[in-house]
Amino acid sequence: MKRRLLSGVLGAVLVMVGPAGCGIPERSAVQTDHRGPAAETSWSLGRGSEPPNREASGSDAEAFVRNFLAAAAGEPDRAYERVKQFIAVPERSGLQVKQGSEVALSVVRLTDDPVIEQDVDSMKVTIAVQQVGLLRTNGMLVPPLATETTYEFRLVNAGPAGQDDASFYVSSPPNVLLLSDEALRLYYQAESIYFWNSERTRLVSDLRYLSSAVPAERRVSEVVRWLTAGPSDWLRVGVSGLPDRTEMINNATGSDGRWEVNLDMPGADDVRLEQFATQLAWSLLELDGILEIKILNQSRKLVDLGEQRTANQLYRLDDNARRFCVYEGAIHALAVANESIGRVPVAPAANHDVVSAGLRRAGDDVLAALVVAGADGRQRLNVGRGRDVVESFTAGPLHTAIGRPVWLRTGDQPAGLVVADGELYRFDGRAAMYPVQLGLPGRVDAVAAALDGHRIALIVGGALHVAAISWEGGVPTIGPTRRLATSLTRLTVVDWWAESRLLVAGAAGRPAIYDVSIDGALETRLRDDAGAEVTHLAAYPAAPTSPLAGTFMYEANGVIYRNNPFERIVREQVQDVAAPPAGVRPGNPTAPIFLY
Amino acid sequence: MTTSPIPDLDATSRRPGVGRELWRRLSGRLARLLAGLHQTWRRSLQVRVVTITLVVSSLLVGGFAFLIADKITSILLDNAKTDVRSRLTSGADYAAKQFSLYSQPQEAQLQETIDGTVNYLAGGDPQQTSGVVVALTADGAGGMILPRSSPAVDFRPLLSPDLRAAVAGGNVANQIQTGRLTGDRATKYLVYGSPVPTRFGQVELYYFVPLTLQDTTASQARATVVATGVALVLLLGLLAALVTRLVVTPVRVAARTAQRLSAGLLDQRMAVNGEDDLALLAASFNQMATNLQRQILRLEEMSRLQRRFTSDVSHELRTPLTTVRMAADLIFAERDGFEPAVARSAELLQAELDRFEELLTDLLEISRFDAGFAVLDAEPTDVVPVVHRVVDRLSGLAERVGVEIELDVPTAPVIAEIDPRRVERVLRNLVGNAVEHGEGRPVRITLGIDDTAVAVTVRDHGVGLKPGEEKLVFNRFWRADPSRARQTGGTGLGLSISLEDARLHGGWLEAWGAPGQGAQFRLTLPARAGDRLITSPLRLVPADATLPFGATSTDGLLAIGPASDGVLVVGPAAPAPEQRAEVAS
Repeated sequence: MKRRLLSGVLGAVLVMVGPAGCGIPERSAVQTDHRGPAAETSWSLGRGSEPPNREASGSDAEAFVRNFLAAAAGEPDRAYERVKQFIAVPERSGLQVKQGSEVALSVVRLTDDPVIEQDVDSMKVTIAVQQVGLLRTNGMLVPPLATETTYEFRLVNAGPAGQDDASFYVSSPPNVLLLSDEALRLYYQAESIYFWNSERTRLVSDLRYLSSAVPAERRVSEVVRWLTAGPSDWLRVGVSGLPDRTEMINNATGSDGRWEVNLDMPGADDVRLEQFATQLAWSLLELDGILEIKILNQSRKLVDLGEQRTANQLYRLDDNARRFCVYEGAIHALAVANESIGRVPVAPAANHDVVSAGLRRAGDDVLAALVVAGADGRQRLNVGRGRDVVESFTAGPLHTAIGRPVWLRTGDQPAGLVVADGELYRFDGRAAMYPVQLGLPGRVDAVAAALDGHRIALIVGGALHVAAISWEGGVPTIGPTRRLATSLTRLTVVDWWAESRLLVAGAAGRPAIYDVSIDGALETRLRDDAGAEVTHLAAYPAAPTSPLAGTFMYEANGVIYRNNPFERIVREQVQDVAAPPAGVRPGNPTAPIFLY
Repeated sequence: MTTSPIPDLDATSRRPGVGRELWRRLSGRLARLLAGLHQTWRRSLQVRVVTITLVVSSLLVGGFAFLIADKITSILLDNAKTDVRSRLTSGADYAAKQFSLYSQPQEAQLQETIDGTVNYLAGGDPQQTSGVVVALTADGAGGMILPRSSPAVDFRPLLSPDLRAAVAGGNVANQIQTGRLTGDRATKYLVYGSPVPTRFGQVELYYFVPLTLQDTTASQARATVVATGVALVLLLGLLAALVTRLVVTPVRVAARTAQRLSAGLLDQRMAVNGEDDLALLAASFNQMATNLQRQILRLEEMSRLQRRFTSDVSHELRTPLTTVRMAADLIFAERDGFEPAVARSAELLQAELDRFEELLTDLLEISRFDAGFAVLDAEPTDVVPVVHRVVDRLSGLAERVGVEIELDVPTAPVIAEIDPRRVERVLRNLVGNAVEHGEGRPVRITLGIDDTAVAVTVRDHGVGLKPGEEKLVFNRFWRADPSRARQTGGTGLGLSISLEDARLHGGWLEAWGAPGQGAQFRLTLPARAGDRLITSPLRLVPADATLPFGATSTDGLLAIGPASDGVLVVGPAAPAPEQRAEVAS
């Protein structure tokens, strides 16, 4: 019986305590599941280049100065650190360090070689500069704030006396992070990113600088950050950024042709995403592969970047641009090398007394704006539209002198810009001209429009400006202008010759033609010696793949030249002209035109 | 010299005393309780069945409850682990992708990315507390990367060195820890860690997932299981009690009925309900009772008829006997005129008629006893004159046989409520027998008295009784030597009638005898009629009796009992109440 009692008590205890004892424990032993993921060894993408360090220049003071002006290049968060490496140790703390997005590099163009004077125990360096802009951490080059034209600092020997190859230290440095335009060209890549115009019908290019030090894996992240940050200030009137409060969640990741972008994008519908995909595809021009767009962690769209670009061309551009010129008051086709020859798009009845012209293809139609000289020497603008050949023209008001008309390439209503008597006018399909107020002092000398129809370049008072156009009811309105710093002076004409590059003619001592980036920071000398002041400039802003890429013609001293190679275009190349009567000195073709 | 503190003897000595008292009281109560329980256990089938049912079902249900609760808990925990493991795997994947963009721990955007990653993995909004805490540590990065968590809490206390070592060793590992992270209360957390490979070294990703829901669910399930189990056990107990009651109640009824039946209430029957086994039992019982009753009644009837027959025969014989008697008396009176042989026959006839008459009288007396017609006419009587009267009556016979009757009678009157006629008949019978079987040796009559009883012993020194004959002597028509002719008196019914008389008084009549030592009879009667006898004032075995095997003492009693080696021994008995040959009523 005792045993029974015992078992009974045991049972009761089991009933009460048993279930209570088998809950989730307060703490348990460590339970190992399996091996965790191991590091992959094949990291395919390497790091980009960084500017040389302090010791790289050795005892070459000038090289040291150039390296110093390149020191800030690289990832912005360590720019101060890199620059401080060049500064003498006691003075490093003197450099006022800014944090985060306040870090900005002053991009300067050396207008002359640095002047290095030997002093008692140091060298005095004077650099003459042109302020080009301020490179912000988001890759944007904004107009410069500083106005200094010279900077002075001293170099001290880094090594003990007598040892020269220990390089130098900068003493009493300027209190800004200087970056030469040369360093900008070397250690940064100019990247085109695209924003939709206000009507969301067309992509407009914007320019950013990406440090070469940024590894390739992070380029996608950087581009998406630029896109979320919105367009440059001067473009804002014509383009729209991503929806407000759009942010990238963490970094864009991926490799091997597959990328992933996670965004917080309010109001992201399919249309917006499609547009964003196109925007991304063009902004990541060098990438091919699949990009997955996630909105708040939800996979929303898979984009094949190459296909997206193919399906959404930036511009409907005629690959077969034709060269024309004005010869003896009429428009004639030009035969250059083995390029096919175009048919003159202006009916012979109207093709007389032409001074210059602007031609444009709009689908199957051709738009023609002719500057025609009247009997009294005054000029008027004749505007017409026709299929292949423009038959009828509407005449505009008379002006003393009218510059080369420029068509704005928009879809619907034909519109253009023209400079007449030093003022900027816009004209429409009926040749009506309306003055455009720029709010800038000085005479307007030239105007050029980008392919997207939202950006124009102007030469006002001899200085180069860019501005954005917003279209309100089919009427172009010019936004605030931005002045670009170029090393050319006495600018005469400008034309758009690549997505974010301008062809500018001016004087660099002698008349010259430069290729200038749309922010003025990067310049390429195309023609150092144009011989005389360039009066006409026509470029074909084709894609790099086109056979006519980078092609332009200019007129100087009444003669037109072409590039690739540079040579004069002679009368014999002008088509459909009768041989001049004997004894009469034949005229020269003038006012070169591309029809595209 | 040192002095040690004198212990407080008073307090220490009193305390154990109180304690012991308390303990004794407690243990006493416990022992009583246990004894009570034990008794209940032994007596009640119902208690036993219910207890066993409760115990066994408790064990079973407890075992099942444990299994079920354990299973539920482990399933909940496994689910949570699977869930967290998949989150952790994708989280580590994500983190690895994010960190693959960096090759040096000092890159400034890396810390931002770490912040962003833990925020992202914790669900983006740190304010939205689902309780899950995601943390990243990079102990291997030389302190250049700060550990981060989302929501930002101090998660270090919950990260055991073991787990950190396991994860730092490249394993995915988990552990349950209890601590405080986001709330005010300590919560159980499932801590799951995974290494995240990066180009700048290993980063460890941890998920702290609160197990509040699982804990609550488990305890709810446990409570349900326990409640169900307890209810089940109670139900089973109740059921057992009910079933047992169903069975035990009729059994109890049957037992009670059987008791009543055995007490003589032959018409007691059980109620038969339904047609089940118990009804069968009741019916069978009733059948048995009916049969028994019938048998008993039949036997009673038979016995009554027999007695009636005896009585009738006696009565019927009496009438012709009276005629025969009168004729015989006449013949006997005229015997002198007959020739000697006829005279002798007349004498014989007379004598045998006397015996016949006596026999008839005794038979009638016996049949009266048997029929239960005997009635006691008890009245306070002095026993001493009764004894004297008997002795006087038999003195003639004694003289004739040559037996001396010795009397040991108190001088003071011995008053008892008796029927003097019957007592006298008994004594006459006893003394007559003694004288008859005295073989010329003296017969001693002793009268004893105490508070409750009166006793008379009659001792003779005749042939005595063989062992076993002490009881046989009271049988009807019993003779020690059947071959002995019924020469002398004695109908063979005298002792039987005496025994009935003694019984009628509520007294005892016992015999003792030993071969060669004579015999002693003892009549014990209650001093007040109706009282129950307990002892007798006189001893049955006479003091001068010699015990077999040469027993030592004449005073002490002998006892026969088993010895250690399995043989029977006879020795002095412990002083105890009188050992008697049980012929008492």
